[in-house]
Amino acid sequence: MEDRQESTAPQKEVCSRFKCRLCGVAPFFVGIVVALVFGWWLFPTLMFNSQEQPVQFTHDTHVNVAGLDCNYCHKIRPDGTFSAIPTTKECAVCHQVLLGESRAERVFWDEYVRPGKEVAWLIYQKQPDNVFFSHAPHSLENCNNCHEFSKTELCLFCHVNVKDKAPTYHENRLSGYSKDTMKMWQCERCHANPNHLAGTAANNACFVCHK
Amino acid sequence: MSATQEFRIKWGMVIDLDKCTGCGSCMVACQAENNVAPAEDGLNRRRALNWLLVYRLSNGKPFPDHDIAYLPRPCMQCGKPSCVSVCPVVATTKDEEGGIVSQVTPRCIGCRYCMASCPYHARYFNWHDPVWPAGMEKTLTPDVSVRPRGVVEKCTFCHHRLMAAKDRAYAEGRDPEKLPDGAYVTSCTEACPNGAISFGDVNNPEHKVHELIKSPYAFRLLERLGTDPQVWYVSRREWVRRLGDNYLNNEPTKG
Amino acid sequence: MLDRRGFLKFVGGAAVGTLATPVVWKGLDDLSIWTQNWPWIPRLDKGNNLNTYISTTSKLCPSACGMRVRLVNGRPVRVLGDESNPLSRGGVSALASAEVQLRYSPARLKRPLRRTADGTFVAIPWYEAEALLRAELVKAARDGGLMCLSGDENGTMNELLSALTVAMGSSDFYLMPGEAQTTAAAWKSLGGRGRVGYDFARSDFVLAVGAGVLENWGPVVGNRRAWGRARPQDGEPAMRLAYAGPVQNNTAAGADWWLPIRPGSEMAFLMGIAQLLFAQGCPSAGVESFAELAAVWTPEKVARATGLAPERLQQVVEQLAAARAPLIIVGTDLGQGGEAAPVILGMALNTLLGRVNQDGGLRILPEPEPVFPRAMSYGDMMAQDFTAAVRAVADKKRAAPSLLMIYEANPVYAMPRGAGVEELLGSAGFSVSFSCFLDETARRCDLILPSAMGLERFDDVNTPFGLGEIFYALCQPVAEPLYESRAAGDVLLDLARLIGLDMGYATFREALEARAASLGLDWAGLMKGECAISRATLPLESLIFPSGLIAEALEGRFIQPEKGALAVATFTKLAFGTADSAIPPFATKLITDAELTAGELSASMNSATIRELGLREGMKIRLVAGEMSLPARVRAFEGVAMGTVALAAGFGHTNFDAFNNGKGANVMDLFTTVEEPGTGLAVWRCPDVKIVKA
Repeated sequence: MEDRQESTAPQKEVCSRFKCRLCGVAPFFVGIVVALVFGWWLFPTLMFNSQEQPVQFTHDTHVNVAGLDCNYCHKIRPDGTFSAIPTTKECAVCHQVLLGESRAERVFWDEYVRPGKEVAWLIYQKQPDNVFFSHAPHSLENCNNCHEFSKTELCLFCHVNVKDKAPTYHENRLSGYSKDTMKMWQCERCHANPNHLAGTAANNACFVCHK
Repeated sequence: MSATQEFRIKWGMVIDLDKCTGCGSCMVACQAENNVAPAEDGLNRRRALNWLLVYRLSNGKPFPDHDIAYLPRPCMQCGKPSCVSVCPVVATTKDEEGGIVSQVTPRCIGCRYCMASCPYHARYFNWHDPVWPAGMEKTLTPDVSVRPRGVVEKCTFCHHRLMAAKDRAYAEGRDPEKLPDGAYVTSCTEACPNGAISFGDVNNPEHKVHELIKSPYAFRLLERLGTDPQVWYVSRREWVRRLGDNYLNNEPTKG
Repeated sequence: MLDRRGFLKFVGGAAVGTLATPVVWKGLDDLSIWTQNWPWIPRLDKGNNLNTYISTTSKLCPSACGMRVRLVNGRPVRVLGDESNPLSRGGVSALASAEVQLRYSPARLKRPLRRTADGTFVAIPWYEAEALLRAELVKAARDGGLMCLSGDENGTMNELLSALTVAMGSSDFYLMPGEAQTTAAAWKSLGGRGRVGYDFARSDFVLAVGAGVLENWGPVVGNRRAWGRARPQDGEPAMRLAYAGPVQNNTAAGADWWLPIRPGSEMAFLMGIAQLLFAQGCPSAGVESFAELAAVWTPEKVARATGLAPERLQQVVEQLAAARAPLIIVGTDLGQGGEAAPVILGMALNTLLGRVNQDGGLRILPEPEPVFPRAMSYGDMMAQDFTAAVRAVADKKRAAPSLLMIYEANPVYAMPRGAGVEELLGSAGFSVSFSCFLDETARRCDLILPSAMGLERFDDVNTPFGLGEIFYALCQPVAEPLYESRAAGDVLLDLARLIGLDMGYATFREALEARAASLGLDWAGLMKGECAISRATLPLESLIFPSGLIAEALEGRFIQPEKGALAVATFTKLAFGTADSAIPPFATKLITDAELTAGELSASMNSATIRELGLREGMKIRLVAGEMSLPARVRAFEGVAMGTVALAAGFGHTNFDAFNNGKGANVMDLFTTVEEPGTGLAVWRCPDVKIVKA
């Protein structure tokens, strides 16, 4: 017994020493885990607020049901500027009467078409004032001098997929940018690509994209 | 100074000083076009920014032999810009076809080294945030970003108009790198009622400025510094040309 | 329990863990982006990148600039020149260039204001303002005591205002004194019919005497466009310009020759030219009296009066004789309150040179037919002399008006201090100002009505003063009137209907449509910015040289200023506004030491004059003339005639906005009104000043 006792005592000591060592570093690891959880999960959620589009617009309905061509709304004007989003008046060419019975249609008609108000659409690819971007040179025609992009492929290179339901818009609480705002490195995938420097208009000079 | 990049297109401005009467129309058009805030006290050098400034020149003779001339000073878009080589953060570069010296204000850290190096005083520092009288901010054009305090800004030859001209060329199926004469002109060029300012690609024989810079009366400011400006001045008056550079007393005037 | 040591371990772990998350990097990135887009810096409104353009004409710029207003998503942002405009051909003045921004001037009136008993203003709704004005109109209609002053120079609005005045039983409709009235008076004294214009664009040698043809005289943008086109950068000039005036101003800067003459010596200069022309064999048949008067004005005598070297006068005459299409334009720098006698001489010289009704000469234009029934004819309007009327009221020679109506004019600021405008406003029974800005005059009125600016209303320009052809262009709204401002024409037509007057039109636009129809113009075309030009002239009938008048006007003039006194010359830049406006916000950067020195008006003198008077550059002085005085600072400028001090006009506003107030002084403080000998016209004159060190 004594032996046991004797033997168990040091064992206990070792164990407690081991335990203590474990207990000693535990807060450290807990800290890491908490930080990781915060940094990877909580922080991105906290950093961005989520907003839904004021009208639940679906491209699918307009393209596949109504049979509209993309160019019907998104077109380069004769002066080279890009008509990105049609005005309510332009929408009202078709939506002069209620089309269908969806809630979105009701909202659009009641709140925008009838009072003649513009919809404050949330722009996923919104760029700040110091960025110059023009759709005119980023055309299928220009890119397909070398590539073989489909229309969808080219658009999705920069734009979020809006085929079905309009995705939730996330706005950075600090910078005010959209979560999907392209950063400079993303533009540089093409602009700084050495293959682009000769023979295309895509060069990486500062004033090509900044104003 | 580092080796200079040669460009196929060289946007250049030719200003006929004998045709400038100093009315200031170019300066007003410039401010409105480039979203430069008005200043209550236009003489306050800390408040008033001028991308384009009209200087008054005098032949220095007493009455009645006195003569007067006016000299509009945009950014010279130097071929060898002294501002570019000193910028520690690459906020100003000369890297685009056409040779316009860029100024990316969000990148600028406001060290003002470029201002010290520019021999033309073409650069201005925002000591204060720009302020428009209430409501006047509704007249801001969407083409040029508004600069906050703490950054340097300068004339860009209305670069946004170049981009607009290229976009139009794309839309019309023309080559955006071969803009016809007049497709891209700066706001000051357009506004001058006297037609004193000409603008175009000096390398392109189809552009009027190509010939104008060959005039025996053409000169550039402080040419002998070696900055190789893209702005030319024309005057038939010898005394005006002489003021364009530092001459020794016994040296003949260029042109 | 977590002890201190454990807590520190936790923090350490959290710190290490954080480094493996995007918190720091993303946070720093977002923070730096935030600093690039400070929330208090105005954002750009790109909208849908939609640019639209509306062609219209400037009512602000007296040169009738053709404007192409750029709108971004319906928001006017820029005034661009309109290349298709036959007059301004794409040029745009510094004033018109800032017109879009001037809409938001801090001086812009927002709502109707009524003066209360204690002299302060209270904002009132439009219906109340209209009721107030209606009651006053009814009263004035009973006693015929309406007096109306218009700041418009050439529009149909003047017909409406004059028709209303006449319908109210009064004949007191006036235009702000300007070069047009002086020229009309001069033409009348020569026995001419119609109105006179100068065909600047087609001349090959222009002698401008006092008239700033490249800065502020007449259709200046059109002049400058023509002048610029006639002088290609790479060829010989097809037009030469000589400018005679006391200051090397902006016109002199562009002129081939600047002929410095003392202020007020224009007549001597012109008589000298006449003398040389007659001496060179210019036929004097029919103008014997002119030749007789001119005979004594030898170049030497002219030199004594003007300070101009005799050989330079001879040079001008040689150039006039050698030119294919010479033209002499006589005017004043201020463009207001000038004397008619020099203009008469200018017209007589043009006649002598055979330049009447010639291309590039002086052209006799038909007067426009009024579209408003009862409206005054152009000739009648020109014959109305506001300066004289103000004088008469101030001197109690006529009754004060029971209702004084001022339309877009600022006589308190723009007329001589000694003219008596304040007295007129003080003695009027009731005063109302239709004004875009809360200016010096509006502040002295009983009722202020916010007027829509030229960019916000229908209006028109019918042959700007000085142009050698009939020109008609429309002004159309490019935006809704700001705040509660309204187009004065429509307000007045409504009120007229309410008090039972039939003006013939329900809205001002209807009147303009009638005008277009009467001129045979297509309204849709006018709306697209098309302008009508006619080169029709009236035949030249025999003119009578008013030798008695000229002899009288020449008498007692050209006396050298007494020792220590200086003649005053003004210089005006269009960029610094007109009589009805002020310095637009962007134009403050155009101010140089020529205008202001250390915040005070620059008194520019040549160095010989400065030496003679024992002054130093930068010295604070007062210019004193009798009871009137003006603070200034000495500035050396060699482009000023001997014995002359040059002062910038357009400064010293006291009641405008921060871009104007407290800047220098108003030269009008030195001016007074006198009756011009010979013509009897009430003209503005600045007496010689003494310099007092302050």
